[in-house]
Amino acid sequence: MENLFVGIADGLRSSLGGLPPELGEAIVMLVKLVAILVFILVNALWLVYMERKVAGYMQARIGPNRVGPKGLLQTTCDIGKLICKEIIIHKDTDKVVFMLAPVLVFVPTLMVFAVIPFGKNMAAIDMNIGLLYLLAIASTSTIIFWMAGWASNNKYSLIGSMRSVAQMVSYELPMVLAILGVIMITGSLNMSDIIAAQEHTWFIFTQPIAFLIFFIASVSECNRAPFDLIEGESELVNGFNTEYGGMAFAMFYLAEYANMLVCCAMVTILFLGGWHAPFGLDFIPSWLWFFIKMYIVMFVIMQLRWTYPRIRVDQLMGFGWKVLVPLSLANIFVTGIGMYIYRAIGW
Amino acid sequence: MFGKGLVKGMQITFKEFWSPKATIQYPEHQNPIPDRYHGRFTLDVDKCIACGMCANACPNKVISLQKQKVGTKQYLTNYVMKIYYCLFCGLCVESCPKDALHFSKVINMNQYHFSDIPLVLVQREAPAVTAESEVAASKTSDKEGE
Amino acid sequence: MIRTQEYNLNFGPQHPSTHGVFRIVLTLDGERVVKAEPICGYLHRGVEKLAEARTYTQVIPYTDRLDYLAAMLQNWGYVMAVEKLMQVEVPERAEYMRVICGELSRLASHLIAIGTYSLDIGAFTGFLLAFRERETTMDLLEELTGSRMTLSYARIGGVADDAPEGWLDKVDKFMDQMPACIDEYDGLITGNEIFQARTMQIGVLKPETAINYSISGPSLRGSGVDYDLRKAKPYSVYDRFDFEVPLGTNGDCFDRFDCRMKEMRQIVRIVKQAIEQIREIDGPVRGKVPKVIKPPAGDAYAEIETSKGIIGYYVVSDGSPKPYRVHVRRPSFINLGYLDEMLRGYLVADVVAILGSLDIMLGEVDC
Repeated sequence: MENLFVGIADGLRSSLGGLPPELGEAIVMLVKLVAILVFILVNALWLVYMERKVAGYMQARIGPNRVGPKGLLQTTCDIGKLICKEIIIHKDTDKVVFMLAPVLVFVPTLMVFAVIPFGKNMAAIDMNIGLLYLLAIASTSTIIFWMAGWASNNKYSLIGSMRSVAQMVSYELPMVLAILGVIMITGSLNMSDIIAAQEHTWFIFTQPIAFLIFFIASVSECNRAPFDLIEGESELVNGFNTEYGGMAFAMFYLAEYANMLVCCAMVTILFLGGWHAPFGLDFIPSWLWFFIKMYIVMFVIMQLRWTYPRIRVDQLMGFGWKVLVPLSLANIFVTGIGMYIYRAIGW
Repeated sequence: MFGKGLVKGMQITFKEFWSPKATIQYPEHQNPIPDRYHGRFTLDVDKCIACGMCANACPNKVISLQKQKVGTKQYLTNYVMKIYYCLFCGLCVESCPKDALHFSKVINMNQYHFSDIPLVLVQREAPAVTAESEVAASKTSDKEGE
Repeated sequence: MIRTQEYNLNFGPQHPSTHGVFRIVLTLDGERVVKAEPICGYLHRGVEKLAEARTYTQVIPYTDRLDYLAAMLQNWGYVMAVEKLMQVEVPERAEYMRVICGELSRLASHLIAIGTYSLDIGAFTGFLLAFRERETTMDLLEELTGSRMTLSYARIGGVADDAPEGWLDKVDKFMDQMPACIDEYDGLITGNEIFQARTMQIGVLKPETAINYSISGPSLRGSGVDYDLRKAKPYSVYDRFDFEVPLGTNGDCFDRFDCRMKEMRQIVRIVKQAIEQIREIDGPVRGKVPKVIKPPAGDAYAEIETSKGIIGYYVVSDGSPKPYRVHVRRPSFINLGYLDEMLRGYLVADVVAILGSLDIMLGEVDC
C-alpha cells in the first residue's frame, strides 16, 4: 500500500524500457500530470458535494441525498446541467476577456499541484524552490478574478474584483511572512525537505502563531467566508461572477474548491507534518495520512464558512495590515531569537 | 470578547452537525395535515340548498353557482370555483348555513392545463319534472301557503 | 491628486438582500454611500382601494397580505378598528386567543427578522436554525387556523374558532423549549465578534430623530425610547401580563437586532401567562355581531403594536355594508423614512446591514 503510486510509476517506467530514456521519462511525467489533473477535478466535484453535506448537517437538514447513493452523483448532474446551459454574454462585455477568465481560472491551481508532495516520493516535480514557485503562481489567480470582474461591465462585479485585488495584496504579505518562520527553521524551499524536517515535531507546535496567520491568510486567499468579500452574496449579489452563467460559472465555482484544496495541502505540508504519521501509526500509508489531514483542514474551513458572518471590507484591510502583518513580523523576530539561542546552547 | 464568541459559534455548529435533523423527506414522509387545514374544497351536494351565501361571502368572487327550480326546491346544477383567485381564507366555509361546504386535506391542486384549474364541484342536469310531481308539489306548497 | 468620480449603483429591486422588491439608488464614492434614494412600490397591490369594494368581513383576508409574516397582528388591528366603530364587546376568551395567536405570529416574524439579518451579515446557519423553530410555530398556527402564513384568524367581534383539543398544551410545551433555542441563536449570532464588529456603531439612530421621524417598534426601542403600545396604551388584555420592554442604548444596528432577540424571550413569557390564564376562562370566542355588518356612519382609528412597529387602521363608514375608506398606517413604510440619512457615509456592506436591521416587510411598505 505504502508504495502503491510509486510502484505504478516504476512499473510504467520499466515497461517503457525499450524506448529512449528521455522519451520514457517524458511519458511517465505526462501520466503523472494527467493523474493529478483527474485527481483535482474529481476532488473539486467531491468537495462541492462535501460542502453541501456539511452545510446541511450544520443547518439541521440533510443536504443532497437523491441523485445516486447518498446523493453522491448530485454534483456530477449539476455540472451536466450547467454544461447544457447557454452562456449568456451581454452586449456590453469585453467578450474576449470575459470568456478568457473562466478558461484560465484553473491554470494557476493546476500548475501549483505539480510541486505538492502527496506522499513519500510522490511529488510530480520535486522542485528546489517549490514553495517560492507555489506562492508566485497562486497569487496570479487574482488577475483572473480581476479580468472576470472588469470584463463583465457590471458595477457589482467591478466592486467585487476591486475587493479581490485589495484583499490579495493585503493577505499575500502576512502569508509569505508567516511561511518565512518555517523556512528559517528548515533552511529549504523544497516541500519534501520541509516535510522531512517535521518528522519529530510538527511546525504547528513550534510555530503556532505562524500557523494561525497562515491559516487565516489562506482562507482569505481562497475567498472563503468570513473573507468571501469578493463574492459577498448579500451585498454584491455574486461579486465578480455575477454575469456568468452555465459552465463559465461552474468553472469559477469548481476553481474555488480546487483553490481550497491547494490551501489545505499547504497547511498540511507546512504545519501538520505532511505525510508523516502521528502517534507512530505507520501502517496507514503516507499518502493516506496526507489526505486525512487535508480533509480535516477542509472540514474546519467549511465549518468556518457556515458559522461566521462576513467581515466588512475596511475591517478586512485593517485586520490584514494592523494585526496579521505586525504579528507575522514579530513571529519572524521571535523565531530568529529562538534559533540563535538554540544554536548558542548547542542543541 | 476576543474570540470567545467565535469559539462558541464553532461549538454550536459542531453540535448541530451531529444532532438530529429537522427536515423530513417530502414525498415519502409527509407531515400530518391538521383537521382545520385549508385544502381543496368539498361540497356535500345533498345538504346544499343553493342559497348562494358562500358566493356572497367570498372576497374575490371565486364561487359561481347555477341553480334551477325543481318543484319547490332550488336544485344546484353547477358549482364552479375559480380556484386560481382563491385566498383560502375560509369565509365561504364559515358562511355556509347548512354546513355543506368543507375544506379537505387535499393539498395537491396542480394542473397541467389552465382550463383544468377551475374546481368543478357540481355539474349535473336538473331532473326532469313530471307533470304529476309538479302538481303535487304545487299542492303541497299551496297547503303550506295557507 | 487623483480625480475621482461618483457613480450610481442600482440596489434592487432584484437584489438578494432587500427583503423583497425594494429598490435603493445609491450614489457611491468608491464603496462609500454619498446619497441613497429609496424607491418603493414594486409590490403595490392597492389593498386600501380593494377594501372599499369589499364588505367589512371580506377585508380581513386582505390585511393578511400586508405583513404576511405576522398576519394575525394585521387582522387584529383591522378588526379592532371595526369593533371600535361598531362598539362591539369582544368575549374574554377571544381576547386571550388573539393574544396567543398574535404573539406566536410575532415570534414567527421575529425569527424571520433575526434569521434574515444574520443572512444579510453573511452567516447562513443562523438563518436556517431560526427557520427550524419558525416551522414549529407555523405548524401550531396551522393547527389553529388552517393556514400557515395568511391566517385570517381574527373576526369582527372575536376569532374564527376556538383552540382545538390539546393545542394549548402543545404551545406551552413549545414555549418551554424556546428559551434554549434563543440561547443558541445568541451564541451563534449575537455573541459572535465578527457580527458585533459589523453591526455596532453602524446606522446610529438617535432617540430624538427616531421620534421625529415617527419610527416605531423594535427600531425605535433600539434607540432607547421606551414606547411599546402593549405597555404604554394597553389594548386587549395586555395589562394582565407581566413582561418587560427590552431597550437598546446606542440605537445602532446591533441594538435593534438585540431588541428583537430579547423581545422573543418576552413573547415566551406572555404566551405562558396567557395560557395559564385562558385555562380558567370558558365561554364563546365570538361576540354578538349581526350577520351583515353595517357599522353606523363615522370613523375609527385603532392601533396595535406589531412585530414591525405600530400599525394603525383608520376605517371610515358611511353606513353601508362596505367601508367607505380604509387607511393603514404601515410601520415598515414609515420606518424607512429616515433611510437616506441613515445610509450616508457608510459602506455598501453596511447598506444591507442597516436595511436589514430596520426589518421591513415589503408587502407592508407598498401595501
